[in-house]
Amino acid sequence: MAVNNKNPTSDLRIAVICSSNMNRSMEAHAFLAKKGFSVKSYGTGDKVKIPGCAADKPNVYDFGVSYDEIYHDLLAKDKTLYTQNGLLHTLDRNRRIKSHPEKFQECSEKFDILITCEERVYDQVLEFMENKTPSDNSIVHVINIDIQDNLEEATIGAFLISDMCVMLAKSEDLDNDIDEVLHDFEERCDRPILHSIVFN
Amino acid sequence: MDDFMNTEISDRDLILQWLNTASLSQDSAEKLELLHKLQEFLTRKVPNLLPEFLDNVLNFTTDLSADVKKALVGFIEEACKVNESLLTKVMVNLHMLLCVESIPVQKRVIQATITIYRKMLSWLCKAPIITQEMEQAWNQLNMIKVEIANMIDSDNDGVRTSSVKFLECVVLLQTYPEQLENRSPNDFSLEDVPLTLKIARRRKLEEEANKIFDLLIKFNGSQHISSANLFACIGALTNIAKHRPEFMGKVVLAIELLHSNLPPTLSTTQVNSIRKKLKSELSSLIKHHAAFEYIENISAMLIDLGFTQQEVQKLIPKADERRRYTK
Repeated sequence: MAVNNKNPTSDLRIAVICSSNMNRSMEAHAFLAKKGFSVKSYGTGDKVKIPGCAADKPNVYDFGVSYDEIYHDLLAKDKTLYTQNGLLHTLDRNRRIKSHPEKFQECSEKFDILITCEERVYDQVLEFMENKTPSDNSIVHVINIDIQDNLEEATIGAFLISDMCVMLAKSEDLDNDIDEVLHDFEERCDRPILHSIVFN
Repeated sequence: MDDFMNTEISDRDLILQWLNTASLSQDSAEKLELLHKLQEFLTRKVPNLLPEFLDNVLNFTTDLSADVKKALVGFIEEACKVNESLLTKVMVNLHMLLCVESIPVQKRVIQATITIYRKMLSWLCKAPIITQEMEQAWNQLNMIKVEIANMIDSDNDGVRTSSVKFLECVVLLQTYPEQLENRSPNDFSLEDVPLTLKIARRRKLEEEANKIFDLLIKFNGSQHISSANLFACIGALTNIAKHRPEFMGKVVLAIELLHSNLPPTLSTTQVNSIRKKLKSELSSLIKHHAAFEYIENISAMLIDLGFTQQEVQKLIPKADERRRYTK
């Protein structure tokens, strides 16, 4: 298991969120965990959707289905196709990190930073957080970085997210420094980001 | 019975052992772990022992470690949730913790006070008799409230954000709700304050809420407000408008002022994030029955923020629905 949270790099509680908790959020999850961050990952979609044998025929699963089950399902459906397009490799990586995709709207955990991988997911995260009754009222930063949903972009995205987390972790008082840190990060990564505040 | 007695004795011994180890330990990580254990144990397993050991735990108020102090604030918050009669015992310590230099401790106290303030006010409103201790605790909490209100001008951004969230809650607690069937069930408001409650008079509470609301409006319009604070403030104001429609007009006006004159200190990204926030809040406000009078103002802003005329039209409730709510 590649995840090591025993001696985290920082005490920030981070969640990376995409639509299906399969590619972008899991790539970043793996990357951040290896760097020693305390990280979890989620999806905000209704179902877990991954590419199928044609663009209009995706493979669709419920969030409770494990990566291992999905792996074996794809293996049985078309081993060559899903080996070539990298999905089996992705699923194999995922099942070494955690058992199954998790839906963000069903989680009750608290985080300091919620990182989303596309604007629609950012909107869904904000909507969910704003509509639930706060419990301890601690400040949560929601940050969006647009990452296209393919393997290559997910890798680049994970690098960017990791760079950003390193910058965030360096701050001793993130709530005070966040504007500045994100400004510096944006200049470096040359991608538009969105930032908002919600409460736990 | 014997078994029960034995269990209780061992629980007590265990608590004493943790308290002793924690108070003698020089290692704040160990103290933190013990404090968390004590919290879990005293608030969940044996809440009947909580009053007995509260003072021992409160002794950590003067601990040197900020993390220990933060954990203590969490303990106080949970203890008061479990047993509201403890509110009278914790207020002095809570006030002391608000006054420490550490920013994380200050923020944690403000955040916990959101829960504690609500708990205290609703407890006073339900109590058959107001004791001297309850009155003293309420007075102390009012001092804490004034200090948190002043922290909206703190040098620290996170302290200001937390102060805004606290003030939003005070306004919601101390104003009247709308007279409609769709009131949220957990909503505490001035209507829940009995007219006979001498130490917290409705009129005074409302006056104070109005002053605090004006403070939030002023903060929202300040020229050098940070992007993070602006988010918190827009969120607070629109939440107040949705739950306390009497403020809708002032909130729409404040957003109009902000929209036409965003702080010059914001970067392009921050402006984009704020405009997105305004879009989302305004498209929610325009559907609210209390905003019917302001539909033109809100529509104009939404169009300026990138909505088409048709998109705005789709958001506006139908005329007969609006008539239902028009006085």
